[in-house]
Amino acid sequence: MPLGLDNLKHIVVLMMENRSFDHMLGSLAAVDQRIDGITNQVSNPDTAGNTVKAQPLAEFQGQLDPDPDHHFPAVDLQIFGGNTSPDRVANMKGFVKSYFNQRRDVKHSQMIMYYFAQAQLPVLTTLALEFAVFNRWFASIPGPTTCNRAFAHYGTSFGRVDLNPFEIMAPIKSIYSRMIAATPRRTAKIYYYDTSSSTVEVVNLLQHQPELFGTYRQFLSDCDKGLLPDYSFVEPNYSDHLTDVGAEVASDQHPDHDVQAGELFIAEVYMHIKRSPLWPNTALLVVYDEHGGIHDHVVPPPAPCSDIFTASASSTGTGVEFKFDRLGVRVPAILISPWIPRNTVVDRVFDHASIPATVQKFFLGDDPQRSPREINADVFLESTTGPVDPQRNLLSLSTVRDDCPEFDL
Amino acid sequence: MPVIAVPRPKSVVDPNRPANALLMTQVQHLQHAERRLPLRYRSEIYIHAIKTEGEAAEYIREVTEAIHRAHADAEKKRAKAKKGLQLAAAAARPARKTSKKKAKKTKSRRK
Repeated sequence: MPLGLDNLKHIVVLMMENRSFDHMLGSLAAVDQRIDGITNQVSNPDTAGNTVKAQPLAEFQGQLDPDPDHHFPAVDLQIFGGNTSPDRVANMKGFVKSYFNQRRDVKHSQMIMYYFAQAQLPVLTTLALEFAVFNRWFASIPGPTTCNRAFAHYGTSFGRVDLNPFEIMAPIKSIYSRMIAATPRRTAKIYYYDTSSSTVEVVNLLQHQPELFGTYRQFLSDCDKGLLPDYSFVEPNYSDHLTDVGAEVASDQHPDHDVQAGELFIAEVYMHIKRSPLWPNTALLVVYDEHGGIHDHVVPPPAPCSDIFTASASSTGTGVEFKFDRLGVRVPAILISPWIPRNTVVDRVFDHASIPATVQKFFLGDDPQRSPREINADVFLESTTGPVDPQRNLLSLSTVRDDCPEFDL
Repeated sequence: MPVIAVPRPKSVVDPNRPANALLMTQVQHLQHAERRLPLRYRSEIYIHAIKTEGEAAEYIREVTEAIHRAHADAEKKRAKAKKGLQLAAAAARPARKTSKKKAKKTKSRRK
């Protein structure tokens, strides 16, 4: 058994909001050619017929206002460039056109192609270069937050491609319910930032199982004391708000929230795990829920299979039904552990269904009572119940690294 | 490895920023949950008047805390009822009488 997997006892997932891979990590192609980021060839047409190249001109705040549209029909336009014919081919050429629809301002619409220079995002880019960066991690659906986050909790969105509440349908259960019902019993928790920020998974988990939740302060304390559950899911702060002890700035990086506040938040989560006694026993996945309408150049591949649910033509808003057979736009994803070699680049295809799939297989073993999308999703940590394929194992070092980056908080 | 400086955000906290679609969705989902709470836990905030992040956060906090409180109260009630049942069962149980014959049998089994 590889020592890294043998020592792994805790999986932590930090899911940020609404930024594409190219926007956040595209600059790294210039540092490491294996990273599929921005090249000189990457462009989109605007509505005036100009070619708009991707440029490192992204700003931390104030540029993406209004919030770029990322509902199902808008993402369809972004991926297919406006082609609605039955034999259409995805080309990722509709981002500028889609953003133009919101303000009817050609110059402003071009900002959707802007990305961050490496030096602007010292936390995310350092973690990507120091641990494992995924070249092909896609949102689960070409749509907005709620349904994409549902895939991270349940391995399906139960037929939804929008922000509306969904109903859990038996026999599918959340990964948290599966964990706490297991024999021997496992532990799992969702840490929201505070009660003013709360969770996006209100209608099912918070309403019926509030005992699954803790606050971010509790997460930090659990890290420090070495008391993390087997599986933790961390949510950032979704709003600027006042509390009894002071003002809290949104750290989710959702446009038009300050991207630097999110950098600080990611660094804080990482550093608390790193300084915790659980560091050699923990893998941290930092991932974004969807692209937020922001440009990415990689065509989303077909999903490994259709889901058992279908979104009707009326609910997609495109006039065409959706069988959950195509992934959403690519998002940043980084796996962190002191057992991962520096500069690991992963080319296998993942989506958010890979999160419950990995937690399930690692802690609980196989279970057929899951969505087809989850059953067929690739896992980012190998199961320790059988022989481990060294080609797939990312925690491959034989000793714990002592050269992992430190951030000054 | 040198320690990497993390720049502090220059933005100031702005609870008056218009709430984005995600926050408004969260508010709607919480209202959906709030409608299922007993009346005494419900907020008095009119959600259609929520426009800003600060207002959304206030409603989100009230309902999130109410959900936790409602479950905690229900749990306490359940525990109290369970304790009451146990006490009642113990009181109703007749005192056990062991016959001389049975006691002798148990004693010989122990040997």
